[in-house]
Amino acid sequence: MNSTNRAAVPAEPENGSAGSGPWLLALRRFLRNRVAVAFLVLFFLIVAFVLAAPLWADHVAHTGPNETHTLQKLHVDGKVREVVTPEGKPIGPQWFEADGKFFLGADSRLGRDEMVRLMYGGRTSLFIGFVSGFITTFLAVVLALLAGYYRGWVDAVIARSLDVLWSLPVLLIGIAIGTASALGGLGIGPIFIPGGSIWIPIFIISIFYTPYVARPIRGEVLSLSEKEFVESAVAQGAGPLRVMFGELLPNLASTIVVFFALNIANNMLFEAALSFLGAGVQPPNSSWGTMISIGEELLTTQPLLAIIPGVMIMLTVLSLNIVGDGLRDALDPRSKVRLEAKTGMAEPEGASV
Amino acid sequence: MKKVRAAIAVLAFAAVTALALASCGSGSDSSSSGGSSGGEGKQGGTLNITYASFPDYMDPQLSYTQEGWSAMGEVYIPLLTYEHGEGSKGAEVIPGLAKEMPKISNGGKTYTLFLRPGLKYSNGEPVKASDFPYAVERMFKVNSGGSTFYTSIVGAEKFAKTKQGSIPGIKTNDKTGEIQIELEKPRGTFANELGLMFVAPVPKGTPNEDLSASPPPGTGPYMITKSQPGRGWEVARNPYWEKANSKAMPDYPTGLIDGAKVTIVRNPQTQVNDIEQGKYDYMENPPPADRYTEVKENFEGTQFRVEPTISTYYFWMNTQEPPFDDAKVRQAVNYAVDPAALERVYSGQIKGTQQILPPGMPGYEKLELYPHDMEKAKELLKEANPSDMDITVWTDTESPNNEAGEYYEGVLKELGFNTKLKILNADNYFTVIGNQSTPDLDTGFSDWFQDYPHPNDFFEPLLAGESIQPTNNQNFGNFNDPEVNKEIAKLGEEQLGSEQEAAYTELDKEVMEEAPWAPYGTRTLSTFVSSAINLENVIYSPTFGAYLTSFEFNE
Repeated sequence: MNSTNRAAVPAEPENGSAGSGPWLLALRRFLRNRVAVAFLVLFFLIVAFVLAAPLWADHVAHTGPNETHTLQKLHVDGKVREVVTPEGKPIGPQWFEADGKFFLGADSRLGRDEMVRLMYGGRTSLFIGFVSGFITTFLAVVLALLAGYYRGWVDAVIARSLDVLWSLPVLLIGIAIGTASALGGLGIGPIFIPGGSIWIPIFIISIFYTPYVARPIRGEVLSLSEKEFVESAVAQGAGPLRVMFGELLPNLASTIVVFFALNIANNMLFEAALSFLGAGVQPPNSSWGTMISIGEELLTTQPLLAIIPGVMIMLTVLSLNIVGDGLRDALDPRSKVRLEAKTGMAEPEGASV
Repeated sequence: MKKVRAAIAVLAFAAVTALALASCGSGSDSSSSGGSSGGEGKQGGTLNITYASFPDYMDPQLSYTQEGWSAMGEVYIPLLTYEHGEGSKGAEVIPGLAKEMPKISNGGKTYTLFLRPGLKYSNGEPVKASDFPYAVERMFKVNSGGSTFYTSIVGAEKFAKTKQGSIPGIKTNDKTGEIQIELEKPRGTFANELGLMFVAPVPKGTPNEDLSASPPPGTGPYMITKSQPGRGWEVARNPYWEKANSKAMPDYPTGLIDGAKVTIVRNPQTQVNDIEQGKYDYMENPPPADRYTEVKENFEGTQFRVEPTISTYYFWMNTQEPPFDDAKVRQAVNYAVDPAALERVYSGQIKGTQQILPPGMPGYEKLELYPHDMEKAKELLKEANPSDMDITVWTDTESPNNEAGEYYEGVLKELGFNTKLKILNADNYFTVIGNQSTPDLDTGFSDWFQDYPHPNDFFEPLLAGESIQPTNNQNFGNFNDPEVNKEIAKLGEEQLGSEQEAAYTELDKEVMEEAPWAPYGTRTLSTFVSSAINLENVIYSPTFGAYLTSFEFNE
C-alpha cells in the first residue's frame, strides 16, 4: 500500500475522543488494520479447528490420534480399500468418501487417521507455543525489571547471563538436551520432568528464548526508569516492588503483548524443529513437527502427509506474526512512524494503520 | 546371534569362485596375491559406504550386531572363520588363523589347533598363540555379550566372575603355535563359536576397555584407520597382509578395492538418493519402506538384490518383574500381538511367525500357539490381574523398528496397560537395554539373526539363565527356567542330528508356552549398490554381512 492510498484512511486523532482509554484507541487502530484482523480471524479458526479434535475424533473419524488401523479395510462406493497395503503403503485422502474417516488418509504404515492426528497435533503444538511463550515472557519481564531497575551489578549479571544464553546455538543445545532427557527425564533441583513429557520441549524453549524477549524489554525498562513518573513514585516513598510492578510494568504492557504474540510463533517453530529432529514431542504423541518427520519418510508417495502439517505451522506462525505486527502498530503507532521516518516513508501521524 | 537393524543381503559367489579358479590357472600369481579376490574386476578404488547407524561397538571382543560384524569381519580373523559364500555355504566353518580345523579328542572336550606361522598384526607385531587366551580373557573382562559361548572352557566361568588370574583351560605354546582348549563338557557348537569375532586374537596388552574410538590392530586384509563413533570410520589395506598374512592364508580373499570410507547417514531416503546418484557405492541397511518397491522395480538384478534371512523379530518381556513375571500376562500379550499387522508395518519385509526358531533353522516346525485374539488376551489378563500395570516399552529409532514399537505400545494400551514408549538411538539401543541398571526395562523390541546354523544359537545366548549378564545382556527377558536351562545345556553338548532337531522343536514349544517373548516375524533384507559396483560378485555372508573383499568397481 502506498502513501496515497493510506492518506484516504481517516486519521485517528492521537488524543482520541473524550473518555476513550489508550486500550480502546489501540483496539480501534488494530481493527482498521484489515490484514491483521484477517489473520487474527485465521488464527482463531486454527484454534477452533484444533479444539474441535475430540468432536471430529469421536463423531466423524471414530478413532483416537494414536489408534492404529494397519489391517482395517474401508468400504467406499462398494469397493474395499485397505488402510495399509501389504507393501506398507498408507491410504491417501478419502475426503468425505468414507464418511469422514481417513479424511486426509492414514499417517504411516500404522494406519492412524491423519486428520485426527493433525487436530490433536495442533493442540500439542499450540499448547507448547502458548505455555512456553507465557513462561518465556514471565521470566523475561521479571529479569528485565530487575536489571533495568536496580542497574549496577544486578544488571551486569543478568545482562551478561542473557548474552551468554543468546550466544549459544539454541537448536543444537535443544537437540542435545531433548535427546539426553528423552531417556531418563530432566531434573533441575527439586523439579523433575519425566522422559517423553511435553514439558521437556516446553522447558527447553522457555529457557532458550528468554533472552530474545528479555533484552529489548530491559532496554525499555532502562528508558522508562528515568522518566518523571518513576522519580515521582520514588519521591513519594514507593518501594522497589511497587515501582517495578506498579509503575514500570503497566507501561510495558503494550510491548509485552506484542512480544508474547511473536514469541508464540517463534516457539512453535522451534518446537516443530525439535520434534522433527526427534528431540521434542515423543511418539506416539503427535505435534505438527513430529507429523512432518513421519511424513518426510513417505514424501515421495504421500507428500501431503508432510505438506499439510507444514502448511498448518506456516499459517499459524504467519498469522501470529502479522497479528503481532498489527498489535505493535496499534499499541505504539509512534514506533512505526519512527521506523518509517528513518526509511523515508514517514506519513502524517495518525494516518498509519 | 547379533541383531540386525539394517541390511542383510547376499550372494553370488559362483562367479567369484569361477573367476578365482581361472586366475589360479595363470600360475603362481594367485598365491602371491593372497587368494581369490572376487574376480577379474577393476583393482583399486575406495568404496563409499553408508550405514544408517553406527555399530554397537567397533571392538572385536564387544560387538554383537550385524553392523559391527559387517564392519570388522575382514579386519579381525579368528582361529576359525566362515567360508566366503552365500546361504549355507557361508555358514561353513573353515580354518582362519589356525592351520586346519581343530583336532577334537577326550570325548569332545579337548580342541587342539595350531596357529599358521608368520602371521602379523596390522601394526607389524607377530601373532602369537598366547594372544588367543588374551583375547578370550579380554572378552570376559569387558563383559562381552558373547561370553556365554565360552563359559564351558575349564576355569572360564570362575574367570568371568573374578576376572583375576587366567583361564586354566587354555594352554598355548608360542614356539609351536599350539593352542589347546579344554572344555568342562562336550559342546557341539564350539567349532562354530571359535569362528566368531569375540575370540579373534588381538595383541597382548590391548586395553581391557571399549576401544570403539581406536580399534586394536587386526590380522585381516583390511585395517581400520580411523573411527569416529556415531559418525563413521575408514578402512585401508593392512600393509602386513600382503607382506605376511596373505602368504600364510592363501585361501583367504585379498579383495580388489583399496579401502572404504563409511559414513553414517540416518535418513534412509537420503541414502537411496545418494546411491542412485553414485555418491555412495553401497548402503548397508535396506531402503526405506516408501522407496522399497520403487528401488526393487528399477534396480533388481542390476543394483538391488533381495535375500531371505534366518532371523526372529520379537518383543521381549522382563520375566523377573511384574507384570510380566506371570506367564498368563505374557501369553495374553502373545495373543494380542498380530504378526499380520506387523508384516505391513515392515512393508512386507517380514513374514509372520510366533516362535523362537525361524524357518530354515534345523528344528523349526511351525507353531501356532497364539492365533491373534484380542478378546482372549483381555480375558487372560483379567484372570492374571497383575498388580502393576505401568510399563515402559522400548524400541530403537531405525525404521520400521520404531513403528513396530509404536504398534506394540498401542496393543499394550488396548490391553489395559499404562504405557510409556521410549525410542532410543539405534547406535546404542542394545547397549542400553542390555544394561541391567537401566530403569524400567519392562518390554520392548529386539531381533536375532543366526550366528551359525544351529538352533542352540537361538536358545543359549537369548533364553538360558546362565546368559543373564549385568551389562551387554542378550537375555533381555531375564528368562531363567531351570528345566529349560537344563535342556539347553544338554542339547548344547550334543552334535546336531535328527534326534536333537526333534528335541529343539519340543524346546521351542516348551519355551513359547512360557512365552518370554512375543515373536512376530522373520526378516527379508536386501543389498543396494550404485551403478559403479559389480553387484554380481558381492557376497553376503549370513554371519558377517557383505564382505568388503567381494566388492569391485565396474571396469
